[in-house]
Amino acid sequence: MILGRVVGEVWATKKHSALDGRKLLVIEPYLWYAPSHEVAHLVAVDAVGAGVGEDVIVCMGDPARRSLGTTSMPIEAAVCAIVDRLELARDRGARPLTFVGGRAPEHDSV
Amino acid sequence: MIRGRVVGEVWATRKAPGLTGRRLLIVGVDGQDRAMVAIDTLDAREGEAVMVSVGSGARNVLVPGPDNRALLCDAAISLIVDGEG
Repeated sequence: MILGRVVGEVWATKKHSALDGRKLLVIEPYLWYAPSHEVAHLVAVDAVGAGVGEDVIVCMGDPARRSLGTTSMPIEAAVCAIVDRLELARDRGARPLTFVGGRAPEHDSV
Repeated sequence: MIRGRVVGEVWATRKAPGLTGRRLLIVGVDGQDRAMVAIDTLDAREGEAVMVSVGSGARNVLVPGPDNRALLCDAAISLIVDGEG
């Protein structure tokens, strides 16, 4: 999973029938591990009731597609948790982690 | 699987069904300045070297298949490295 912040919501009247009734959130990823996650924004279906401004954990790929009761969801990202608190070790090893947009969660709460 | 090291932890009260009670750890990817959030079932500690199963196989670490398809999990720690030669 990757970390990101909810920065918006998308409404659409014309959409794939599998997306009917689903809340779609615009997310700015700030901690990820695969090059394919390296995007300014991604759209994820909401499984937990997240709102704008919240930091969330986003599940990517096949699990996201299957998780909402159907295998035919045309999505590849789903919000699976809302972050309450995040802690990073002071010594993170030889390489410091890179966060996007200066959002390194140095504080106990993000 | 991806080799990494536990560098942090995330707490979340509101989680998708099936993730309740699971620990969420931040695992720094070896050789990169990147990290992921992975579910921990092995009680991994900060600083420990671990292997993380990613993708659809990660669900099998939490619940054996095939009845685990509803799990929203694409990364789970599947082993803690003791040593390697």
